[in-house]
Amino acid sequence: MKLVMKFGGSSLADADRMRHCAALVRSRVAKHQVAVVVSAMDGVTEELLALADAAAAGTRAVAEAHLAALRRGHEEAAAALGEPGRVRELLDELDRLAGGIAAVGELTPRSRDAVLAFGERLATALFHRALTSAGVKARAFDGGEAGLVTDDRFGDAEPLVELSLYQVAETLGPLIAAGEVPVITGFIAATQHGVTTTLGRGGSDYTATLVGAALGADEIWIWSDVDGLMSADPRIVPGARRLERISFSEAVEMAQFGAKAMHPRALEPAAERGVPVRIRNTFRPEGEGTLIAREGDAPDGIVRSVHVVHDSGMILVTGAGMIGRVGTAARVFEALGEHGINIRMISQSASEAAISIAVGAGQLEAARAALEARLLRTGHARRVLVEPEVAIVAAVGAGMRGTRGVAARVFGAVAARGINVIAIAQGSSELSISFAVGRDAGPDAARALHDEFGLAKG
Amino acid sequence: MKVLLLGFGAVGQAFARLIERRRADLYARHALSPSLVGVVDSRGAAADPRGLDVEALLEAKRRGGTVAALAAHGVHGVSVEAFIVESEAQVVVEATPTSVAAPGAALARLKAAFRGGKHVVCVNKGPLAVAFPALLELARHNRVAFRFSGTVGGGTPVLALAQECVRGDRVLSARAVLNGTTNFILWRMDRHGEDYDAALAEAVRLGYAETDPSADVDGIDSATKLVILANGVLGHPCVLGDVAVTGIRGVTREHVLAAREQGQVVRLVAELDGGLSVAPREIPADSPLHVPANLNALSLTLETGGEVALVGRGAGGPETATAILRDLIDIWHAIGSPR
Repeated sequence: MKLVMKFGGSSLADADRMRHCAALVRSRVAKHQVAVVVSAMDGVTEELLALADAAAAGTRAVAEAHLAALRRGHEEAAAALGEPGRVRELLDELDRLAGGIAAVGELTPRSRDAVLAFGERLATALFHRALTSAGVKARAFDGGEAGLVTDDRFGDAEPLVELSLYQVAETLGPLIAAGEVPVITGFIAATQHGVTTTLGRGGSDYTATLVGAALGADEIWIWSDVDGLMSADPRIVPGARRLERISFSEAVEMAQFGAKAMHPRALEPAAERGVPVRIRNTFRPEGEGTLIAREGDAPDGIVRSVHVVHDSGMILVTGAGMIGRVGTAARVFEALGEHGINIRMISQSASEAAISIAVGAGQLEAARAALEARLLRTGHARRVLVEPEVAIVAAVGAGMRGTRGVAARVFGAVAARGINVIAIAQGSSELSISFAVGRDAGPDAARALHDEFGLAKG
Repeated sequence: MKVLLLGFGAVGQAFARLIERRRADLYARHALSPSLVGVVDSRGAAADPRGLDVEALLEAKRRGGTVAALAAHGVHGVSVEAFIVESEAQVVVEATPTSVAAPGAALARLKAAFRGGKHVVCVNKGPLAVAFPALLELARHNRVAFRFSGTVGGGTPVLALAQECVRGDRVLSARAVLNGTTNFILWRMDRHGEDYDAALAEAVRLGYAETDPSADVDGIDSATKLVILANGVLGHPCVLGDVAVTGIRGVTREHVLAAREQGQVVRLVAELDGGLSVAPREIPADSPLHVPANLNALSLTLETGGEVALVGRGAGGPETATAILRDLIDIWHAIGSPR
């Protein structure tokens, strides 16, 4: 098999953890072709951001403290991996970069990316060392060196996907065919002119799926600290269990509801080329994790998982004047959009007399003010009502599509627990049903659905 | 319009001559006055922001073997990619010979052109065969035009015909004779009863085939063109590896003569019909693909319009040069007058 393995975060907390992950790679290289993607060590990205800000602000003492912390963490790991000098050059380069930012007194998005890239560059150098000292023939690459090209929107760069896939295949393909393991910095890439960029949303996972798609991998393994995707949050639903297999579209839907999964953007290259993604746990590597694959490959089941989005609020916009009036919804969304308010859920009855919108609790007041200014003042609506303490509950599963009676079961189960439903939304893709309930009823509603659809059973 | 020409062999030289010969006409009909601000060949380069003199270039190439021999404007040992990025040209014409086995250098030149914000006319099939979607993406990203009509059919507007056909109709299948050399060989075998080796020798003698004819006779050249046709026009993303290729080395005189008994002829047919293939096939003698000598032919089956066919000369320096000019005029109109 051809495998791409991505490591990051707490899996790379220190030299011991790195050695452990290197062993996970080594145990596969005899039989498989492997490429590795590495993200920054735990906490390093935050430290780098703080360093960049401090440097730009001219607070030298603070900047030096951050530098020292970064130096300490990485040099300790390097020493423990038996090559104390492994990261010295990179750290010196970072030092000079911070000095340059301090001299200019300004942090451009471009230089911020250059600083951030050190998290992955340092971790990659260390992981490369861990692999080679474990006897694995490996070669380290920056994202740009590996062939990943993006536009120049620093901080949230968009890959030129076709070009990147072609170049990565050209650069890394022959290498893994020859049994060598490329170790690639996650999260970072380069413009066509060779300037370092970062991928923003999706980060290193995105790198992993791009590399997987480029190499035509059989699977992409995202090594993390969870056993996989769960049927529900076990803190809320004690009977929650690991999902063995789900489809890409289900995974995307779950991510929207806050499941600790991958960013939808990171799933895209894999979904498009049909390369399955497996979420696995480095702390329990014997587990199978969750396989995210094409729809046909997922097992049957109407509802696969249940989610609760806490800390939400509802706004109800009403008025007889809205009925049959074209453009009301546009006004609502414009008003919210202009104030940067993210809408979590929308529902409108066919009578058109009311629109209800769920937003994050923190944005509720801003949303109310925006709607009042835009709709009440102009007479486009009569009232803007606010329901501050709301939870959104969602059931996700591709099997709902075309299955009759799902809504009846969902709301029957919720009603049986005496929970009042405030608003309901279902997209026409039928991948999920979501509804709003009172804040305290959220967990109970989730448990009710989990039971109703038998998700606790294997 | 300032043009940087990469490659100064048969095609490049023909193009340089062509824009000189057509100068008055291009100006009168299109208000276009192309000017060669740079030329690169395998051994060096020449540059002049005011425009190089074509006769002097040809003379330098003839005498010194490279445009770098041009007095005052010639340079040896230039880094081609940097030269492209830094050139004042608005359009880069890539006219170096195709190498499907090693398209890396040509690809790097195209990337440099796009990176430098230049429009591109490409008649080199190599990079398109291996990285077509990537090149389209890169052109779009840099907001420049990318034309390649000379890669298939040479001067015969094969891609343009297909493009027009897919605009309002749906192409169900495409079949084509896209390689003049193999068509010549198979035609000779049929017409003169020659065996494969004798027909190939004649093709080499007439300059239709290279001394190493493998790219032609093994079907690689046809497959490359099919990939360009499929990707560029028919909306079928693919790379060379997706084409099932059989060449004509195994075609015997007996095979050709037996086909003739049945009213058929053997031709190397490139086909997009669900899958992609290039192989010697027996076709009816009255098929539009039954063309003589080194001609090319394309036959499209349209959902509504039925069969549409085009026949013309496929290769040759002067023919391909006209395709470059065609693309250049197209870009000129697409971008409007320069800022």
